[in-house]
Amino acid sequence: MNLPKIHSISKKILVGALGAFLSFFLLFHASANLLILRHDGGEWYNAFCHFMGTYVIVKVMEIGLLAALLLHVVLAIWLAVTNKMARPKGYHKLQRSKTHTGSKLQVWTGILIFACLIMHFTDFYFVKIGLVKGKYLAKTEDVVALKTTQPNAFNYAEQHGEYSAKENWLTNFDKEDKAVLEAAGLEVEPDFYHQAREKFKILHIAISYLVFFAVVWFHLRHGFAAVFQTFGLYNYKYGKAIEVLGQIYTWVVCLMFTVVVIGVYFGL
Amino acid sequence: MLDILNEQLVNDHIAHPVCFDNDCREGICGMCGLYINGRPHGNDDGITTCQLHMRKFHDGDDIWIEPWRAKPFPVIRDLVVDRSAFDKIIQAGGYISTTTGGVPDANTIPIPKHKADMAMDAASCIGCGACVAACKNASAMLFVGAKVSHLALLPQGQIEAADRVHKMVCKMDELGFGSCTNTYACEAECPKLIKRQNISRLNRQWIGALFGRDRK
Repeated sequence: MNLPKIHSISKKILVGALGAFLSFFLLFHASANLLILRHDGGEWYNAFCHFMGTYVIVKVMEIGLLAALLLHVVLAIWLAVTNKMARPKGYHKLQRSKTHTGSKLQVWTGILIFACLIMHFTDFYFVKIGLVKGKYLAKTEDVVALKTTQPNAFNYAEQHGEYSAKENWLTNFDKEDKAVLEAAGLEVEPDFYHQAREKFKILHIAISYLVFFAVVWFHLRHGFAAVFQTFGLYNYKYGKAIEVLGQIYTWVVCLMFTVVVIGVYFGL
Repeated sequence: MLDILNEQLVNDHIAHPVCFDNDCREGICGMCGLYINGRPHGNDDGITTCQLHMRKFHDGDDIWIEPWRAKPFPVIRDLVVDRSAFDKIIQAGGYISTTTGGVPDANTIPIPKHKADMAMDAASCIGCGACVAACKNASAMLFVGAKVSHLALLPQGQIEAADRVHKMVCKMDELGFGSCTNTYACEAECPKLIKRQNISRLNRQWIGALFGRDRK
């Protein structure tokens, strides 16, 4: 089978463009995650997740995001293999040139991120699409009215979960409760607020996520300035500014992710 | 050092002399190119192999000398590699088409000083191949970037810029050079200190060539 012919620079531009798109998503994701730190029983964070899970444009973008991620990985591996073939026989002596470490490790940090993403998807995304069990919430028109119309479902909800009269949400249910609530005619969806709070309380999971963010930091630190270089925007005038901006962006994104995990672990 | 080694090898009838490329021996021609102790052109910045002094080594140091390693640079013998791949890239588009004739007067085409300086910096590439040797991907992007830049920055080179970049990049890919992953080992090892901004300009020119209408 003949692979389509894409010139090396075009491949790089594609990888860079997809990487830039994924980087912007990270900022968005990290900002939204800060809502987990609010002690509101998940009202704000679950409202945000509900919007993300139901709004049709976002759902289309979600498919685009997953496609972008896969294409970014495939193209990067394709480039790495082609690059490896450009030097069939290596040097005996280890290279001692003064270079950016980030670039040399970019493929490896990328593979690590992909592995960590599988963990992240298992913890959250796969709950959404029903592949693994997690925490759930049920939305009703009027949670108080439920007490009279369906007392059995209400009592069950009160015993097994939490309810918010303000938002008309019943939250923090396990998968076993899901069927009971659905039978009572309630609309059930994942409760990512309680899910995250439960996961990040476990030490080894919290540490795994901190390692994940450290790898993302490494990948993004090189990637940000590299995108500008690949798009031909790195020049004598703005080169330094781009690098500083890249450092700030990387630190801000990774610290926002980190503070949520550490905060939840220490009970904030 | 290699001259002395070869003299000893020949005079003492130990072995054939070690073959290596060299010509001007003053850092101009770009013929010498050896990978010394893990660095193209040895342990110093902005020099060619012939400008590397023995005082850069300590007494008793081991010196590892290797030829450039890249698929498009096949080793001919010992430390001599065939760098004609660079010539092929230049032949593909690294020129301007013009009618020959009398030399025009200087300054008939006004060129801003900073542009002339950048073009001159890019034109200082001697095509030694250290960028390819240093790059973990054996990429020739700094070489092609320099050659594209020094013409694209000047009015005479801008007419064929889109065609030039397309042809040179196609030839570079065809010859089996790797692609740039922004490690900048090329910039660190270039004996003429050519900057990564030339690679950025090459990328910019490539995007322009892809979407522009100037290409044939």
